[in-house]
Amino acid sequence: MDAGRNLLPTRLKGNRWLRRSGTLIGFLIVVIIFTLNNPSTFLTLPNWLNISQQVSMLAVVAFAMTIVMVMGDFDLSVGSMASLAGILAALLFRAEQPLAVGILVALGAGLIGGLINGLLVSYVGITPFVATLGTLTIFSGAAFLFSGGETIFGRDIPAEFSGFARTGLPIGTVNERPLLFPAMTILALVVLGIIWLLLEQTTYGRRLYAIGGNAEAARLAGVRVRLLRLIAFMLTGLGAATAGLMYASRVASANPTQGAGLMLDAIAAVFLGMTLSEEGEPHVLGTLLGVLILGVLDNGLTQMQVDSYVREILIGGIIIGAVTSSSLSRRNR
Amino acid sequence: MRRLSVVLAVLALLLIGGGVLAQDAPTVAVITPYLAQPGTQFVVEGFQTAAEGTGWTVNVIDTAGDVAAVISRIEDVVNQGVDAIVINVDPAQVAAGLEVASAAGIPVFGMDAGSDPLLVTNVTSNGYAMAAETATYVADRIGGAGRVVMFVFDPFPPVQKRGIIADTIFANNPDIEVIDRITPDVADGGIADSRAKMEAVLAANPEPGSISAVWAAWDQPALGALQAIEAAGRQNEGIVIVGIDANPQALDAIAAGGNFEASVAQDFAGIGAATADAVARVLAGETINQRVIYVPTVLVTGANVAEFLGD
Repeated sequence: MDAGRNLLPTRLKGNRWLRRSGTLIGFLIVVIIFTLNNPSTFLTLPNWLNISQQVSMLAVVAFAMTIVMVMGDFDLSVGSMASLAGILAALLFRAEQPLAVGILVALGAGLIGGLINGLLVSYVGITPFVATLGTLTIFSGAAFLFSGGETIFGRDIPAEFSGFARTGLPIGTVNERPLLFPAMTILALVVLGIIWLLLEQTTYGRRLYAIGGNAEAARLAGVRVRLLRLIAFMLTGLGAATAGLMYASRVASANPTQGAGLMLDAIAAVFLGMTLSEEGEPHVLGTLLGVLILGVLDNGLTQMQVDSYVREILIGGIIIGAVTSSSLSRRNR
Repeated sequence: MRRLSVVLAVLALLLIGGGVLAQDAPTVAVITPYLAQPGTQFVVEGFQTAAEGTGWTVNVIDTAGDVAAVISRIEDVVNQGVDAIVINVDPAQVAAGLEVASAAGIPVFGMDAGSDPLLVTNVTSNGYAMAAETATYVADRIGGAGRVVMFVFDPFPPVQKRGIIADTIFANNPDIEVIDRITPDVADGGIADSRAKMEAVLAANPEPGSISAVWAAWDQPALGALQAIEAAGRQNEGIVIVGIDANPQALDAIAAGGNFEASVAQDFAGIGAATADAVARVLAGETINQRVIYVPTVLVTGANVAEFLGD
């Protein structure tokens, strides 16, 4: 790879930067256009703190999804795991268990769900798509079963739990109202930091990338592929459960389907992020950009009063456009 | 470069689309996760029709079932500085967004949403009145005397309200006896389990005429009871069945002229129109004291079911 790259004509080398940064440039253009259309509201600190809070749940799922996608795997069960985690915590709150018990059981469910995914993929040898499609259905069924299909809300949800999604660090005042740096954003940034350290700065992370490059070669080189893959799925499950708790806190309720939308958006965010990488590998900072693109489009298009169905089509089109042109340019290389 | 041009083309379209928006007329955002459901569609269309003459810019936002996204969109339109927000979702679940709107001084209206101190008002149907309509229909129809089976669902407050009214009306008729007050399992939609429960009641009361009526707090149990009665071959005993909500299946059953005799239809378009009226009053500077505004409902029987089937 490296040797081949040095043989590239200088003209193409110049374009490489542009090719890698195309998604980033596109993102900046989106920001500029939204700013021009909503001059007084879009490019403001409160709005961006607002966006950061809105995407925090998706961000945590997408960061966690990045871990398995580094190996070329998927986890389709993250959305229903998020729903299940919210339901478990809410049911324990309803049973008047302490806050910590509800949260720990929900996170434990994420680890166990991830363990099941990891065992199926790593040791039983089912493809991730099929294995996690199966567990998606199982987790979703469990969420319905435990909750009896109903939404758990109101007095069952302690105020300290739902309050988390509304608090933050005071960082000033705007129009005589306190401006908060949202706690949800802080939590998402902490998860980002941990996963960045794990993937980019540890042997474990480098081995996951090695598995993604060539699992067989990694195995022959002495990497314990099965165990590492199992752990990766557990971490993704843990991330999904964390996001489920954040979601439940934000809506002060738990519903057996509420996490369902997170899975496809998370995969989309990772793919958008991959267009930034020369090798087309997922990196968690790229995923962050992907998440921001989705969140900023939602926010800006709402402010521009674009019909919500048109918005969906645009977002889908932008994902396909970015990933298509990135893969075309890589093929033409 | 190709990617850039794709993005640019999309954005150029957006710019054109965004540029033509009127900036001075009041802007009202209507936010719901449930636009795919027929009832919500009628409500939103009723709102849009009523808003047509006002010159408002109405921005309808559907989050496709995602309740957290409703909070996000409320935050977005608050930031954008809309003049009013209308929601069609349980306000307790989007309280985080309502607090943001309230802090910014933007009025939020519930359109068939639920009551909440953070809403200016909620426009909906009166659950008590709907139950009173069908319970009195039953009491009158059986001449104030007979044995009645009730299907209720107390865990869900809007339906619990209906049951409590029917209880009162039946209790006020000394010759009406409620022989069973059943809470069906609703996990499968409510029809199948209600049918099973009704089959058990029929088995326990084998004498013809031993059951006079079935009062159901919503249509699904009424449909389940109808299936049980027909399957048992007891449809000619004169058992009167009533439901509430007038869903399409119930309307068909009423039109067929069998035991299912009545249900209550909410005036969804009317709820939308009354919400638009409430928004207009507040934008004109009026204060609304009514925490809930009720829009009248209509009792549907064989006499008028044809009007509803046309929809």
